[in-house]
Amino acid sequence: MSKITRRSLVKGALTAGAAAALPTGIAIHSGRASAQAARTVRMVPHGDLRVLDPIWTTANMSAYHGAMIYDTLFGYDGNLAPQPQMVGRHGISDDKKTYTFELRDGLKWHDGTDVTARDCVASLRRWAARDGAGQHMMKSVVDISAADAKTVKIALKEPYGLVYEALAKTSTPLCYMMQEKIAETDPNQQITKHVGSGPFKFVDGEYVPGSKVVYDRNPAYVPRAEPASGIAGGKRVMLDRVIWNIMPDAQTAAAALMSGEIEFFEVPPIDILGTLETARGVKLEVLNKLGNVGYCRLNHLHPPFNNVKARKAAQLAVNQEDFLRAAIGNAKYYQTCGSHFTCGSPMGVEDGSDFLKLPMAQRQAMARELLKESGYDGKPLVVLHATDIHVMNQAAQVIAQNLRQVGFQVTLASSDWGGVVTRRSNKNAPDQGGWNVFFTWGGGNATSSPINLFGHAANGQNAWFGWPENALHEQLRTEWAGAPTLEARRAVIARMNRNMIDYVHDIKTGQWVGPVAYRADRMKGMLAVPEVVPWWNVERV
Amino acid sequence: MTAYIVRRLLATIPVMAIVGVFVFMLLHLTPGDPAAIIAGDNATEQNIAAIRTRLGLDRPLYEQFVTWAWNTLRGDLGISMFSNMSVTKLVLQRAEPTIALTITTLIVAITIAVSIGVLAAARAGTLVDRAVMGFAVMGFSVPVFVVGYLLVYLFAMKLRWLPVQGYVPIEQGLWPCLRNLILPSVALGLAYVALIARITRASMLEVLAEDYIRTANAKGVAPPGVLLRHALKNAAVPIVTVIGIGVALLISGVVITESVFNIPGVGRLVVDAIARRDYPIIQGVMIIFSGIYVLVNLAVDIVYTFLDPRIRY
Amino acid sequence: MTVLAETVPVLPAFGERLRVFARRNPTIVIGGVLLAAVAGAAVFAPVIAGDPIVFNPINRLRPPSEEFLLGTDSLGRDVYARTVYGARISLLVGLTVAAVAMVIGLVVGLACGYYRQLDAVVMRLMDGIMAIPAILLAIALVSVMGASVKVVIVAIAIPEVPRVARLVRSVVLTVRELPYVEAARANGSRVRKILWRHILPSTIPPLIVQATYICASAILVEAGLSFLGAGTPPEFPTWGNMIAQSRLYLATAPWTIFVPGTCLALVVLAINLLGDGLRDRLDPRLARRM
Repeated sequence: MSKITRRSLVKGALTAGAAAALPTGIAIHSGRASAQAARTVRMVPHGDLRVLDPIWTTANMSAYHGAMIYDTLFGYDGNLAPQPQMVGRHGISDDKKTYTFELRDGLKWHDGTDVTARDCVASLRRWAARDGAGQHMMKSVVDISAADAKTVKIALKEPYGLVYEALAKTSTPLCYMMQEKIAETDPNQQITKHVGSGPFKFVDGEYVPGSKVVYDRNPAYVPRAEPASGIAGGKRVMLDRVIWNIMPDAQTAAAALMSGEIEFFEVPPIDILGTLETARGVKLEVLNKLGNVGYCRLNHLHPPFNNVKARKAAQLAVNQEDFLRAAIGNAKYYQTCGSHFTCGSPMGVEDGSDFLKLPMAQRQAMARELLKESGYDGKPLVVLHATDIHVMNQAAQVIAQNLRQVGFQVTLASSDWGGVVTRRSNKNAPDQGGWNVFFTWGGGNATSSPINLFGHAANGQNAWFGWPENALHEQLRTEWAGAPTLEARRAVIARMNRNMIDYVHDIKTGQWVGPVAYRADRMKGMLAVPEVVPWWNVERV
Repeated sequence: MTAYIVRRLLATIPVMAIVGVFVFMLLHLTPGDPAAIIAGDNATEQNIAAIRTRLGLDRPLYEQFVTWAWNTLRGDLGISMFSNMSVTKLVLQRAEPTIALTITTLIVAITIAVSIGVLAAARAGTLVDRAVMGFAVMGFSVPVFVVGYLLVYLFAMKLRWLPVQGYVPIEQGLWPCLRNLILPSVALGLAYVALIARITRASMLEVLAEDYIRTANAKGVAPPGVLLRHALKNAAVPIVTVIGIGVALLISGVVITESVFNIPGVGRLVVDAIARRDYPIIQGVMIIFSGIYVLVNLAVDIVYTFLDPRIRY
Repeated sequence: MTVLAETVPVLPAFGERLRVFARRNPTIVIGGVLLAAVAGAAVFAPVIAGDPIVFNPINRLRPPSEEFLLGTDSLGRDVYARTVYGARISLLVGLTVAAVAMVIGLVVGLACGYYRQLDAVVMRLMDGIMAIPAILLAIALVSVMGASVKVVIVAIAIPEVPRVARLVRSVVLTVRELPYVEAARANGSRVRKILWRHILPSTIPPLIVQATYICASAILVEAGLSFLGAGTPPEFPTWGNMIAQSRLYLATAPWTIFVPGTCLALVVLAINLLGDGLRDRLDPRLARRM
């Protein structure tokens, strides 16, 4: 059963420039139709592609879209080491203050024009204006310029250790390259044209927001010679077409996978993995090994959590195991973790988290004591509760129960996620439209960097929702970015983690990975990348 | 007759105006900030404020209302706050699945309902009658999504007769399109079958008791002929009425059915839009649905005059 | 409550009369008994069931056993306890929606039917509300006002008001032309008295029938809203919530869906049966039409 419409085939042919002579054109179409059906993958991603500008938003779906049609200067390989991608030769000056990148040969935009250094300069500037790591890097940058048609130069005030890491990162927003005239769009406005130089092309005419996104192979793409690894290496495309089907109902998506109506389902709910595992042809695989990190944000502006003792009480009360079991369910896919920087990542140290090892009863007793000392007046906490997302729905209920167990009064403010997003930005007192607690999660990869994740900032009113303030933490973040080696960074991170637990920056609720489910009898070659699902290297079998 | 239709058409104007005001006020007077949702996770307050300005959400409410109302009157439903596409285009993209689902559901439901309703009336008081009526009450006692899941479990996953989900445009052939619509329209139509079957039976019984039917019987017209020619025609008035009322029911059902069977229709568009507070889409779709409701009921009223010569205007 | 009083036969002294009543009105009796049983469970929930809210993730998705009569759900909560308590909230939602819609609809309908100058404006307003798809209106209301039992009740009740108002108004329009009402008016009775004594009573029978249908549909709509993630807060054990939250477990833990699903279908069925029976008894005119 093919999902390709006749119209789309004709359009596909038109964009490929094959419809010059109509009669032969038609003959070509009918020949291509069956081959194309066989080389198509239909996948159900975790959400809807709402924004087509992967620089403007941090939404993961937009980053996936970006990975299809755009390319990056550098990219993390499978071991999270930065490797050149669009860049051929590159170098650093002896004083470590000038970086030179030379674009490799054969790079072309989807409209057929050459990729130039000027395009990249404009793209870098726009990305750096939006991205946390980019903004941090720009503090040390004097100028980004095009030395010639193919050479980009970044000049620094002082040496900065994270240039490659920032350009290669897979956490959103990724540093995607766009055409100069598109990249000159105000960073606060969304781009309206979607011309990349990446391995796939966006099929504008078939885009139905909330339902379907279609990508065709970019036949002009020249992959690197190395084997594909992470988002680095040769992006060899072996599919003609990738169709994203947006399905809000997970039960429906799982059924569609089992009956062969789709080939790939990105986030099967863990509770139905058992059913999927036994289904014919279906394979489960963890692609994003760093997974997700759950955390509970406390509002540092208002009582009781403007008092560190109350925050500590909450930290002791929240039981990671309870949350993980209720929200994730299968111990194969989750782990408790005492690090603010993702256990399993190079920064995943657990210094200062010994309290996690105490028995729950003892922790609760300590929490009650601390809560009493904090002078908590018994006013109910407002816990924001998103009911339309499974993990968040379970999380808020578990956290509420954990807090009640140590003497907090709790009111769950239930709404959809849209409601939580609106309310969490409200700085008023909880009984005047504000809040005390909300739960969310971040990608394990993004969370592993104190710079990349906005949530790791502790600069008070300017910090992320919850607005924690801690001068030592801010100082340590700067120290981390300037640290020359991995060991030095780990040493800083150990102090940082201890400090964050001490002033209770927020409360981590554990980590989990989600396997993807796909029809191994129909496709192979998925690459393991944190936070992006690449479709190059994948082929039909 | 023409005067009546014109009068009724004019009467829809204040109704639609009220719908417009009501929907606009509902969305704009209550908390919920689309700018914060658009801005996403890592937005600063300045980002959010900038988006609010761009969308015009910082202007006085009456000004926003006048702009929106004027544009709507000119047929311009505005631009989606999230996808930056025109609401009209978004709705048109998704109109076909919803219309196809609605039509198949109506055909399935009316065919089944009228047949079993007539059957029950003809066999009034027998076991057949009770079984039909029992089914009818059950029909609107089960949530549509439960019926949907059961149908999928049985016919798509166990027996593998029909696809689990999705929609195939009709341009790819009638059968591929219908195959995908069978389960959804049965699930959605069940409550409708129940409703229409009950009314068909009741109207038939009432008509069958009237003099002219007895006369027809006395004249020796065969019972099936009596049932169909005389009775059904006269029973059609209340049936048509309930179809009119049922449009509202159907629209509600469509929203849920589209989610269960992953049909990319207008219902899902608006549910997604509500979750994101995408005001232009919500307002646009509500206006369109309300307009359809009003027009269908207008049509129903006009059909009356043809069906029942006693009704005169 | 008059409904229950009439349908739950408890006094043996009326034994013979009741048997006759039951034979003539089987639907009222079946519906009534079913409903009474559920109402009983709702009232005595704290006595016959444990805590429906407290959970223990260790016990999640346990099949029915001696410890958990009807198994546990995805948070390890007792499905039996939640189902019993669910009767409370589901019935509360159904009854309150019916009551709210009745009262407002009655007032609006009476006023419009009697004060003709009010009629044009208010009935257009009612037409307007009726034209907005009920479920979308409800989702929008819940989304913008936040999910709580109160909001859900209001959201489901609002779209029902115009239907009630129209029904009442049509009765009033018929009744007000009847000779005895005209006589009362000629006698100089006060408007309020006419409405109260002469017109209101004739609106009651069709209203009661309508109320049962609204009650049944409210329970279903609540389930639909929960399914779309816009229902009562998930912490509250309503049947709709239980079904909606367990839909992932249809294949692996079917008890989490089928227990509340069966209860919901049975109660809605009972209310519908009761409504049918009452309609036949109280409102023969409507009975013929419907």
